[in-house]
Amino acid sequence: MSDVAFSPGTAATLAPARSRAAAAAVTEYNEDVVKKFLIAAMFWAVVAFLLGVVLALQLSWPVFNLGFEYTAFGRLRPVHTSAAIFAFGGSALFATSFYVVQRTCQARLFGGEALANFIFWGYQFFIVMAALSYVMGFSQSLEYAEPEWHIDLFLTIVWVCYAVVFIGTLAKRREPHIYVANWFYLAYILTVAVLHLGNAAALPVSFFEAKSFSLYSGVQAALIQWWYGHNAVGFFLTAAFLGMMYYFIPKQANRPIYSYRLSVVHFWSLIFMYIWAGPHHLHYTSLPDWAQTLGVVFSVILWMPSWGGMINGLMTLSGAWDKLRTDPALRFTVTAVGFYGMSTFEGPMMSIKEVNGLAHYTDWVVGHVHSGALGWVAFVSFGAIYYLTPVLWRRSGAYSVKLIAWHYWIATLGIVLYITSMWVAGIMQGLMWRAYDQFGFLQYSFAESVNAMHPYYVIRMLGGVMFLIGALIMVFNLIMTVRSSTTQASPMRVPANAAIAGE
Amino acid sequence: MTGNRFEMHEQTGDLAVGLLVLVLGLVGLVMASGALDDGIYVFGLSLAVFAVIFNFGLVRRHYDRQDARRTQEAGHV
Repeated sequence: MSDVAFSPGTAATLAPARSRAAAAAVTEYNEDVVKKFLIAAMFWAVVAFLLGVVLALQLSWPVFNLGFEYTAFGRLRPVHTSAAIFAFGGSALFATSFYVVQRTCQARLFGGEALANFIFWGYQFFIVMAALSYVMGFSQSLEYAEPEWHIDLFLTIVWVCYAVVFIGTLAKRREPHIYVANWFYLAYILTVAVLHLGNAAALPVSFFEAKSFSLYSGVQAALIQWWYGHNAVGFFLTAAFLGMMYYFIPKQANRPIYSYRLSVVHFWSLIFMYIWAGPHHLHYTSLPDWAQTLGVVFSVILWMPSWGGMINGLMTLSGAWDKLRTDPALRFTVTAVGFYGMSTFEGPMMSIKEVNGLAHYTDWVVGHVHSGALGWVAFVSFGAIYYLTPVLWRRSGAYSVKLIAWHYWIATLGIVLYITSMWVAGIMQGLMWRAYDQFGFLQYSFAESVNAMHPYYVIRMLGGVMFLIGALIMVFNLIMTVRSSTTQASPMRVPANAAIAGE
Repeated sequence: MTGNRFEMHEQTGDLAVGLLVLVLGLVGLVMASGALDDGIYVFGLSLAVFAVIFNFGLVRRHYDRQDARRTQEAGHV
């Protein structure tokens, strides 16, 4: 391998003299905000998974809608998606990005403690207000962008503060090099800002009313929505979590990244290509055919940079595969990369029009989304949280490695149940909807296809329950890691929140 | 960064963020006062309460830091 290999711990090789000088100056990191976001991530994870189970129950047995408008599927569904993506995933990203940028830049967070605290409490306030508004029946009816204008504006303020803190910390770094994880985090912060402002552009009826009207209409509105929606997946759920991967896999495996050059190449190609792929959500609609085809082309090309990241993540374990037997936290991270590779193959395949003709509007899409959300996003976050908790709370290690292994296997089995049932259900739905008899009539009514889904919906619910049980085991294990006397503080020569060379 | 400069940075940050949150809280009160639906009413009131609690937290942390500094100085004598 000709290119220089980096890990978060070997950046010092770039400028030894400067690093030695930096090592002399010990900086106190702001770990308080990282801890808060970590706790919030676990809290919202349980909320999101619990709501997912409730929704799966409702789909299996509609009686679980309970007859109230507040608990109806239509209102709880955006609470589940927002809790999973923005509350759990978002809090995990805030925690890890603040941790990684400080460590790799050898600098305390820019803007002081008050600004960091505002970002934490402001973001939690946004989540609670958004969830409350959905339950009360207020929604822009835009997938993953349901909050009305006033909540959108509040989020914008919090997000701008986040960008200021992150970019400010990069600007005052003591390391000459910006570690690649920070590039991914930066792309996510900037792009999500652009997406949010572009898609949420709306005129409120009045300053005192929650209702607003989008600036876009018709097929333009649909295209803007899926430009946003697909890139929320691309930048919030992919680029940012790749940033997480690029820090925590080398740290957990204690190995440098396989190829730093590959990380840079796949970063720029991923960033350039993702932004064009949104139209594949609008196949066979009134969107012009050329725009649909453009979406397909970029989606298929996107396969390569996506797998560039997967290969880099997996190959980082070259020579350290044995660690997977002894470190179940690393197993989470590495399995996440496997699921990432699988989802990023499945996505481009589903974007091809002929495949999409079968898959679109079926539960196959739901299975695809959850193989990414549970297998990639949640697993890589679990790996990072298992790594961070003992480090942040100065403990010698996890309370129980065995419980991490239990969590891993229960959650993995839960995902397998979930995605396989949805694949079978989705393909069956697609085939039933397109089947017609010798007279040219549809062979099945829509209700018959709904009825055929029932056993798969029950299996999906069981998969969700297993994933929830795994998360509860994790919460117990983390609480005990922090509180138990068996994980007493590890002896260190320098405080663990102090910047040292190459860190 | 020396202790005094660090303290000055923190105080400037407290002031700027405190003012921002104060403005947000006032906007929340105005929204709640004229709200035409439950969505704005709940959001406005919650924003005002959020602002009050957050700024009390800033005041508490300010005095906590001063206490810590005094304790540290006393330890050096």
